[in-house]
Amino acid sequence: MLAGAAALTLFVLVLLAFSWGRSGQEAATGRVWTLGLGLGLTLPVLAALVGYGFWVGERILPRDDGALRVTATARQWGWQFTQPGPDGRPVTTENVLYVPAGQPFDIEITATDVIHSFWVPRLGGKMDAVPGRINVARLTAGTPGELEGLCAEFCGLGHSAMRFSVIVYEPGAFPEIDQTATAAGRDGAEAP
Amino acid sequence: MGWLFRVLAGPMLWAILFAAVYALHGIGCARGWPAIATPLGNLHLVAMALLWLTGLALHVLILLRLPQGTARAEHLPRLGAGIGLVATLLTLSPVILISTCG
Amino acid sequence: MTGPVRPDDLPDPLPGPAAPELRANPPQRALRLHRELTRVWSDAPGFYGWLASVNHTSIGRRFMATACFFFAIGGVLSMLIRAQLATPRGAFLDSALYNQIFTMHGSIMMFLFAIPMLEGLALWLLPKILGARDMAFPRLSALGYWCYLFGGTIILISLLAGVAPDGGWFMYVPLSDKTHTPGINADVWLLGITFVEISAVAAAVEITVTILRCRAAGMALTRMPLMGWYLLGTSGMMLVGFPPLILGSILLEVERAFGWPFFDVARGGDPLLWQHLFWLFGHPEVYIIFLPAAGALSTIIPVLCRTTILGYSAIVAAILGLVFLSFGLWVHHMFTVGIPHMALGFFSAASALVAVPTAVQVFAWIGTIRQGRPQLHLPMLYVLGFFLTFVMGGLTGVMLAIVPFNWQAHDTAFVTAHLHYVLIGGFVFPMMAALTYWMPLLSGRERIPRLGEAAFWLILIGFHGTFFIMHLTGLLGMPRRIDIYPDNPEWVLPNLISSIFGMVLSIGFALFAFDLALQWIFGARSRRNPWQAPTLDWAMPLPAPAYNFASLPLPGRDDAGAILALARGEGILPGAPRGWREVLVVEPGSGAPQHIAVLPGNTLLPLATAATIGSFFLLMLAGLYALTPLALIAIVLVGWRWGAFMGCRQDPAPVKAAPGLVLPLHWTCRATLAHAGAVATLVADGALYACLLFGVGFLSVVAPQWPAPQSGLGTALTLLLALPCLLALGLASLAARRTEALRAEAAGRRWALTGVLAGLVALVALAGLALMLDDPRRHARDALRGVLLGFALFHVALALIFAWRTWCDLRDGRMGPARRGAAPVWRLWQDFALATSLVSALLVIGQEVL
Repeated sequence: MLAGAAALTLFVLVLLAFSWGRSGQEAATGRVWTLGLGLGLTLPVLAALVGYGFWVGERILPRDDGALRVTATARQWGWQFTQPGPDGRPVTTENVLYVPAGQPFDIEITATDVIHSFWVPRLGGKMDAVPGRINVARLTAGTPGELEGLCAEFCGLGHSAMRFSVIVYEPGAFPEIDQTATAAGRDGAEAP
Repeated sequence: MGWLFRVLAGPMLWAILFAAVYALHGIGCARGWPAIATPLGNLHLVAMALLWLTGLALHVLILLRLPQGTARAEHLPRLGAGIGLVATLLTLSPVILISTCG
Repeated sequence: MTGPVRPDDLPDPLPGPAAPELRANPPQRALRLHRELTRVWSDAPGFYGWLASVNHTSIGRRFMATACFFFAIGGVLSMLIRAQLATPRGAFLDSALYNQIFTMHGSIMMFLFAIPMLEGLALWLLPKILGARDMAFPRLSALGYWCYLFGGTIILISLLAGVAPDGGWFMYVPLSDKTHTPGINADVWLLGITFVEISAVAAAVEITVTILRCRAAGMALTRMPLMGWYLLGTSGMMLVGFPPLILGSILLEVERAFGWPFFDVARGGDPLLWQHLFWLFGHPEVYIIFLPAAGALSTIIPVLCRTTILGYSAIVAAILGLVFLSFGLWVHHMFTVGIPHMALGFFSAASALVAVPTAVQVFAWIGTIRQGRPQLHLPMLYVLGFFLTFVMGGLTGVMLAIVPFNWQAHDTAFVTAHLHYVLIGGFVFPMMAALTYWMPLLSGRERIPRLGEAAFWLILIGFHGTFFIMHLTGLLGMPRRIDIYPDNPEWVLPNLISSIFGMVLSIGFALFAFDLALQWIFGARSRRNPWQAPTLDWAMPLPAPAYNFASLPLPGRDDAGAILALARGEGILPGAPRGWREVLVVEPGSGAPQHIAVLPGNTLLPLATAATIGSFFLLMLAGLYALTPLALIAIVLVGWRWGAFMGCRQDPAPVKAAPGLVLPLHWTCRATLAHAGAVATLVADGALYACLLFGVGFLSVVAPQWPAPQSGLGTALTLLLALPCLLALGLASLAARRTEALRAEAAGRRWALTGVLAGLVALVALAGLALMLDDPRRHARDALRGVLLGFALFHVALALIFAWRTWCDLRDGRMGPARRGAAPVWRLWQDFALATSLVSALLVIGQEVL
């Protein structure tokens, strides 16, 4: 998409330069420009793009297929997660989310006070945490490791520091939960 | 003024349809229409699709009823009607392309 | 002087009343006409004159200068933001102050710079380019300016006092509700911006009526300069686009002040209602800003390429498409709030489709350049800067319209970059082209060479240096609105680069302002029509005189070539022989002359009105709610005086405007400018009501915590009050009709009195209903019923005032066989009050029954 956008920008600018250089020649008919380029070029590109967007959007919709479910509850200014623990029973953690690698999971997102937004850039997707409703996003973490997550919707004084981590583990190898880290949150998460 | 309304007819119809289909969508999701079966498919889809198709027919009717001619005063109303038709055709196409309340 | 470019494809005029064959008036001495007109049209001398001015050239200039002042303030705030973000642990501002600063940067640039700037350009330019002497409602222009100035001042003072809004420029609830923003900060935004929006709605009404009714004789819509079409699209969008914001602000302020829960989830509200209302305004707003800028481009490009615009019809169609489609995109700001995918699909498709009309215009402009001989004057540099910047901004916009990409890029620096590309590329660059293009007409002077070019390059380089890399910063995961990022070393370098180039950009803007000031003070006198433009705005001496045209253009001779004939008084309505500010009013479609309107002269009334409105907002802000009725009474008393100008006691004789053209004066006509203005106002009012209905529907369908608790309204007493109220309103509507029909007879007075009494009965019944309402603080349904009732009360009271006015007009002999006084406008408001009250009643009954 980036390359396409760059190519189109270049096309328009080259067309502009070309028109400037060769201007004053024959009076071009208006239809070539407005209908030919204005409609003929843009409509197919846009239709294809939107269609592709619909398709991808459908594919990443959460479905009732028994995928792993975790929850995220946002507040000013921190995150509470529940996820299946080592023994399969739900475990509640602060500011750290544990998910297995390679398995699609649905995350139910909500908030207790103001609107926040759950975003882990490396997982893609973003979903707002809105008080009073539960939004579900389907995400998949690729390989084990630690990912950074943050609040993407401005939520007041502590917005910048409202970070969390996602620990992606090998399926079946649930890591030790670091209670000190989770209790205090990451540095600054409890700041003003 | 009458002329200006003829220019605006197509886009205004689009606006009405867009609002109506969006409202139908919201109401249907809230009332559980996707679960109600009709001979043509689920009630939600049928309601929206019927509205969409009726709207498209109205758009074509507007386009056909406008006077022909190449002068600007005749050309512009037809362009307006065309804009309405294309807008309705494309912006409401998700009715048949995308799953309803997911 | 070589002749200006003439349009080579003059289209056929619209079907309509055939314009009479008009001959020119005999030529007179231009200097005598100039003195006569200047005496009648110019501002009074001194400070009083400044306060009392209603002239569109003065007010438009003032709007633009004030907007530039606020642009400078917003620019300083942006430099503070960049200074803070230049390093990852910026200690320059604390979080609280940083939040105020970015909120104010966005709010100022949107509401106190962009909108007033385009209003100022429209007010200043429209009469000139359409061949009129002033806007349709000069006092409304002035009122709009004072509301803007006072509202902007309130907001600015809050910044100095350290209590500025701090919830982001779109003020999402619940963050901006009373629980999470207990201070005055959010009230400043809600009340201050609403105060300023009065000027936006006023300008929208005025621009619409001016374009439709105040064009040159015979200037059919189909051959109106494109700028007219662009501004007609803008004003139409403003009429429908601002009411959602105004409604949202009123609801949120009422929630904050009185605890009515429109947005509180626990009591049946929904924070998403705010987002819907805000973006229902917010996205059209982008096109409201873009259309006038595109109008400037469509005006400037053909002139500086010595040709005519390519594809007039296609551009008008593109404007039409933008005006409508832009109301179908608002949800793309809400793709991540958890709306079903199909609904996102509608808005995603509309968001992509809206790129088509934009592309049509861009290609029409490039085609125009190709067909002409472009000259690299300074305005053209900004046009090229526009192309480079806006095309990139438009394409990132298309990317954001695609739902999955949006889920990733939403609320990141990528969006910040996109919106600055669109707004600076699509508005600021064209506006700078427009300023440099019209500067000779504004100041009467030529510019100083070379300084402007230096400013342009600094701005272009500074802009792209700042914002291009921000796309990358966003893709690297940096969200918007954070003040520190100590754990993200990968964001450090791009932010530093942005900050450095941001300072270059600021220096460029400062140089641009300096250049304009130098031109105004030291520039050589400019010759007439320096760009050899074809449009009427150049058919006048430089700088533009207060009256614009000594005589108004004849049909078919409405181009810059008519300059000398117009100055000699050969056109329509030469001079000001009656000592009145006279303008020509035409049929909307064909431009056939209909009557002559006499416009009001210098007066302090707009200033006094804005001051009383301001007192209401200040009392609200101070929390002195019990005192606000005093302010409302003051507003009514001052507003009453506006009508004094609008009637006369005798039938004035028709005026010979040109040989073969005798026109009545507006006092003896029904389809006056005031009547058209009332219709336009009702369109905006209807949009507000429609948004209110949307709110009711949205909350009842979507919000959690519904259905609402048992209501106490389902009693016979309710019907006993509602029914007489509706009957009284129906009687008042009938009375308005009969009064107008029988205005010359004694029965007319009786009908007017009947209308007044019926209005009073309705008002009392509504008050009774208000006492029966359930506590509006209990649930959003009850709160919305309170608002519906308040809406009805407001409009019934307003219609009552018009009825009373009509009765006074009859009593004082201001009505007669030809003169209708306030009756036609009374009828409009009375019918609107009846219709909306009826719908509200049916809605509440529906809620009770279903």
